[in-house]
Amino acid sequence: MSDQIGTGRSHLGGATSHRSGGMRPGGLATPYVLGLVVLVALPVLGAAALAFTEYYGFAAPRFVGWDNYRRALDDELFRTSLRNVALIALVAVPLRLLLATAAALLLQGRSRGAGTGRAAAYLPSVVPDAAWALLWLWLLNPLYGPLPAALRAVGLGSPDFLTDPAAARLGVALMVALQVGEAFIVALAARRAIPDQLYEAAAVEAAPPGFVVRRLTLPLMAPLLVLLAARDLVLLLQVTFVPVLLVTEGGPRDATLTPPLYLYQRAFGYGELGYASALSMVLLVLTAAVLAVQALLVRRWLLR
Amino acid sequence: MSLTVDGATRTFTRRGRPPVPALRQVDLSVGVGELVVLVGPSGSGKSTLLRAVAGLESLDAGRVLVDGTDVTTAGPGERAVALVFQDLALFPHLTVGENIGFGARGRGARAAEVRTAVAEAAELLGIADLVDRRPGELSGGERQRVALARALLRDPRLFLLDEPFSSVDAELRVRLREEVKDLQRRTGVAMVHVTHDRTEAMALADRVVVLRGGAVEQVGTPDDVWHRPSTLSVARLMDDVPLAVITAASVGQPGDHVLAVRAGDLRLRPAGSGRLDVRVDDVVLDGGTAVVRCSSPVGPVHVRALWEDRPRAGRAYGVDWEARHEHRFAADGTRMS
Repeated sequence: MSDQIGTGRSHLGGATSHRSGGMRPGGLATPYVLGLVVLVALPVLGAAALAFTEYYGFAAPRFVGWDNYRRALDDELFRTSLRNVALIALVAVPLRLLLATAAALLLQGRSRGAGTGRAAAYLPSVVPDAAWALLWLWLLNPLYGPLPAALRAVGLGSPDFLTDPAAARLGVALMVALQVGEAFIVALAARRAIPDQLYEAAAVEAAPPGFVVRRLTLPLMAPLLVLLAARDLVLLLQVTFVPVLLVTEGGPRDATLTPPLYLYQRAFGYGELGYASALSMVLLVLTAAVLAVQALLVRRWLLR
Repeated sequence: MSLTVDGATRTFTRRGRPPVPALRQVDLSVGVGELVVLVGPSGSGKSTLLRAVAGLESLDAGRVLVDGTDVTTAGPGERAVALVFQDLALFPHLTVGENIGFGARGRGARAAEVRTAVAEAAELLGIADLVDRRPGELSGGERQRVALARALLRDPRLFLLDEPFSSVDAELRVRLREEVKDLQRRTGVAMVHVTHDRTEAMALADRVVVLRGGAVEQVGTPDDVWHRPSTLSVARLMDDVPLAVITAASVGQPGDHVLAVRAGDLRLRPAGSGRLDVRVDDVVLDGGTAVVRCSSPVGPVHVRALWEDRPRAGRAYGVDWEARHEHRFAADGTRMS
């Protein structure tokens, strides 16, 4: 049974062992490796070097040792940005995972409307980030936005999404979480990789639907769901940039200032390229730490 | 503990393809404590019939009754049947014990009760020491037993087995077959077993149901099906050596029917004697006896002989048989007399 679910791996193994036409795996990887070195590894090394300097882009970089890192540790705004992204992630990551998984489970079948539903679930991811951000600027607007209007209409009252710090973070979290597209596709693939026979076996056993989801579907999807959560975290740490830049500009009162936005302000607002490089290094290490913790958890609990 | 299927009809339709009739007016009855084997070539509808009984496949027409209750439209969970799938459908992420107890837990039984029941079932099937393993760590035979234990815990009114032994080696298959038969005898629960293996059908069945092209060709005890096959195709299906099929005219009988004689009922005689002149093409050892392939004026003829009496290839012989071993089939393949 396990080899049915894990066929992906064996296919890959097969592809590398049949070396037809004399192409070696190393040769096939060349374009990717080249791109990785030129576009990722070299810039990272450059940034790592710049992080030890004072550099404004005009004069040559001046070596300052660990000064930038000492400053980063004491930087109130940087800490705020990390706290913000943690708070946003706390809502956005579980919410997106929940929405993507629920949509995948509801729309995986052949029932009428499922195809349309799948397209609809993916659609927000096709919208360019900037357009998506502008859309939310309208959606969340306290004066004429539909979301506050709807909340007020059902008698809940609406927080001031763009002016209240906590509500602004919530707004950004919603904006990020509702782009479920890729997560939905991955969850859908994970659900469909589970053989139908397992569900037939559960049906013959008269296992109720909730029990089947809890004991069969979710555990079998879990490794991929955890992967999705990790991807979302990385995404939040690294690229929650467009929405906060366009919708809130990090405000109100720095409530939606996220690390990428802060980095951008330091580098291109104040021209502190050396310091911004040090911040990006800290961010890189933090991201790696988050992923390491997650990998450890997966190995400990899921891949026993 | 009984099953009745009445006029089951099902046609598979897929857009852009011609409709495939999988079941045509199939009747089936399984009595209390009876073991019925559905046998037939692939595409004969035997798996579809079993899945329809389990509620996993709907019928276009016909009824399914379990213990006299009409369950035609009932869901698979409401029929109180247990199904062992061809590839077993064990849950890969759960331990053997959790697999066996899955349904019981799902139906709301208490954890302690389920543990006891699982332990009993595992004990009965000789897998008690494996309950903490996962299916991926087990051998083929052990997995079979897990699937059987899971079926047992369903406490079913009917056991359904869909070619469960098709992926294990021959030696193990024989042993599992015997275990299943013993298990069925001990529990007294009626069982429907699907197979394409004639030996398995003969070894297990109280009654054999031969299906072909979605229709029932014959229902009977293994003895009936072997000694009084209702059609030429049933006679062929249940034998692993081709029967000699001889037109009536070629042996001087009136009529346009054919005679079919099993290889084991044919006797080799010295050349010139016997009712048919043959030339031996090949001799192979099969299960301790010789299967002799011959060519004759009426086509190929296979004869089973004792190994020590085997003829030599290339020589001419005569072939003879007793009249009581003749199966006569009309031109349309149905049995005469």
